[in-house]
Amino acid sequence: MTNSPPTEAFIRDLASRPAPAPLRPALVALAVAGAILAGLALFFALFGLRPDPGAMARPVVAAKALLPLALAGLALPLALLSVRPGARLPLWPLLVPVALAAGLFAARLIDLPPQRLLPDLMGQTALACLISVVTLSLLPLAAGLALLRRGAPTRPVLSGALTGLAASAGTAAGYALHCTEDSPLFYVSWYGLALCLASALGAWLGHRHLRW
Amino acid sequence: MDKDPSWESLLARANAGDSAAFARFLTEITPSLRALIRARGTALPAHQHEDILQEVLLAIHLKRGSWRQGSPVRPWLYAVARYKIVDAFRRRNAAIHLPIDDYADSLEQDMPDTPLAARDADRLLDQIDTRSAALVRAIALDGDSAEEAGGRLGLSAGATRVALHRALKRLSQLAERMNR
Repeated sequence: MTNSPPTEAFIRDLASRPAPAPLRPALVALAVAGAILAGLALFFALFGLRPDPGAMARPVVAAKALLPLALAGLALPLALLSVRPGARLPLWPLLVPVALAAGLFAARLIDLPPQRLLPDLMGQTALACLISVVTLSLLPLAAGLALLRRGAPTRPVLSGALTGLAASAGTAAGYALHCTEDSPLFYVSWYGLALCLASALGAWLGHRHLRW
Repeated sequence: MDKDPSWESLLARANAGDSAAFARFLTEITPSLRALIRARGTALPAHQHEDILQEVLLAIHLKRGSWRQGSPVRPWLYAVARYKIVDAFRRRNAAIHLPIDDYADSLEQDMPDTPLAARDADRLLDQIDTRSAALVRAIALDGDSAEEAGGRLGLSAGATRVALHRALKRLSQLAERMNR
């Protein structure tokens, strides 16, 4: 089957153009991680680490940093994969840290006398936590989305959400070194809410800016 | 050169800068793309299928860096094509083409002028670069062919289509912003 003349000419013209810049996943990952670390460095310089870093040795407290770190480590490669059309995208591993967090939350809930519930859940710094984590996620989210535009996300909303999740989960893992609220009721709720907000923002930005 | 190189090796060579390999790749995939578009596009007239085909080919050129060398081309190719075809049909569905002769009797004889639409178009065209604006005026408003309009500006027919495509996309973004 031969092509119609205009399409043939069009193909010749396309072929004569230089190949566009290739997608560099390592560069995107580096940019997102670098933006997270830069934001956290500034944050630590301003507000400091927690005064008792030894407390992080307790598993329940360590989980506050490790679970978001795991989420970030899973979400970032998925976000990079999601801009390659036709690639399989296994999302279920994200549920593992989420399920562990839910388990910690439930265990603490069962353990606690009812009158301690509300103080544990609300803590002292809920708003500061939300604002810090979401704000510090903005730069890595923007950097990630800008670089992912070179790719070809066939599900732009999902790509944006995964980028937002990676940016905010990485940020939350670092923020945990500053935050002294060690109850799973507090950190699962508020870190979780911050991650949801950043992912929703990423999804919205993805819908607006990742289409091609 | 081997007789029948795989699409994988053609695209790999194309991405390494071999434009002959890329031309051959595009030529070889075109029948499949045309079949995909025809399967989807019973509601649109055939001449629009060729436009959509060119949109898909352009997207394959622009996004060819998103194919990972060493992985099969077909899943990538069909995912890109599906995305662009769905997109193209969605945009055109706003103006489903019906032959006007069937409605000639029931339509008003004289359509009123639409000065507002013309003014809006001028205002939009003022916001893009003059070369693109000249192309859009010539092709979309005055009905010149891509060859004629591009020839006046010293562009090949293919380059004209790409430039027109970009200009129309930019205009639709501007229009969207204006309506918001």
